[in-house]
Amino acid sequence: MKTYHEIQGDGGSDVVAQVQEQQSKIRDALSGVRHLLAVGSGKGGVGKSTVTMALARALRRQGRSVAILDGDINGPCQARLAGLEASPWIPGPRGLQMPRSQEGIGVVSFGSLLPEARPVEFSSVATGEEQTWRATREFAMLGQLLGGVDWGTLDVLLFDLPPGTERTLQFAHFLGEGTAFVLVTIPSDLSRGVVARSISALADSGQRLLGYVENMAGYYCRDCGEVKPLFPESKTELPIPLLGRLPFEPALAHTGGGEAEATVSDEVEALATKILESLEPKEN
Amino acid sequence: MKFLCIACDQAMKIQQAAPPDEGGSISALFGCPSCGHQIAMLTNPYETQLVQSLGVKIGPNTNSPAAGVPARGVTAAMATPTPGSISEAAEAGGCPFSGMLAQMEQAPKDGVQWTPEALARLDNIPEFVRPMAKQGIEHYAKTNGRHTIDDALMEEARGRFGM
Repeated sequence: MKTYHEIQGDGGSDVVAQVQEQQSKIRDALSGVRHLLAVGSGKGGVGKSTVTMALARALRRQGRSVAILDGDINGPCQARLAGLEASPWIPGPRGLQMPRSQEGIGVVSFGSLLPEARPVEFSSVATGEEQTWRATREFAMLGQLLGGVDWGTLDVLLFDLPPGTERTLQFAHFLGEGTAFVLVTIPSDLSRGVVARSISALADSGQRLLGYVENMAGYYCRDCGEVKPLFPESKTELPIPLLGRLPFEPALAHTGGGEAEATVSDEVEALATKILESLEPKEN
Repeated sequence: MKFLCIACDQAMKIQQAAPPDEGGSISALFGCPSCGHQIAMLTNPYETQLVQSLGVKIGPNTNSPAAGVPARGVTAAMATPTPGSISEAAEAGGCPFSGMLAQMEQAPKDGVQWTPEALARLDNIPEFVRPMAKQGIEHYAKTNGRHTIDDALMEEARGRFGM
């Protein structure tokens, strides 16, 4: 009697070929993208989305073509940060057209489609087991988006990842080895501990980890003109390079609306430059 | 999953596939190309859900646009919608915007018509976002006093939103 591997195909549905075709569409869609850069953490609330947008703005000001895919399906922020909450998704000749902020940053975020008060809902024929399939469905959707958007020619496509160490690793597997990762933490021991776990998980996956960004690294005191700490000094060492420290910026609380003149601090400029140098090392 | 006709030691081919029934079970008919013996594969809801979650189709000739797509969620996520078929996708539950679409569907259409060329553009985008893209463009048309959605209007909208 024949065994499974002695039989060619699956009798007609060719499910394996369908999956391969999806992967091929993603490769084709991303063929004009020079660098894939994922901004994650593992910890929630550390400012991944604001750091992602700030980086995109800094890169744009350096003359780079940039887009963001908001990977946080359940808590998408990028549409609001770019002022694109009400921007429709329009089909073009080669796929979905990227909505663009006033600064010219392409932003693909479910926040453009869903009002903030509404959750993303999936139904399931397997009653009561919706949670079992959720991640699979979300990644299937993200795969269709990656392969279905007309990304065109880009210097950097940034991925704003959702929180969760396991999610960070899932995205690493989903995006593949060609994607570089930057992790965001705040100076607290709690946050650095979670990020240390993400680093360990990503290191085991063979992913390219450029380093980490310390966000909310102190605040600017108007009285004394110095940057003062917001958190006690952490004793948790992170075994990857520190790419930059970004002080807490109250102006970010007003970020949104995609103002063309949104400020890009010197620290963010320096961070963007450092990341670019890591992505594009100069040949000696 | 593959099926083997033991008598002929021959792989069976899928002949038909039917959408899941109310209980979430897909029915697929397989036949032996040698002796014609047929069997039916009946999935449980968990197996059906696995297929839906992967976003693949089950049925003969799945490369064809009109391929058998037995899973309702797969229909929503993968099948080409026909004009005015937004509720089909929403009803199927494979679209994450189904709840919102159901509400939007209740709004009057105000006679907005799609040209075949404009509808064809929808084929170029991921199928699960087509209903929302369609609604967005119809909203743009209505708010700009337009009654026909064609390529020109889509280009206009692209320019308007800086795409």
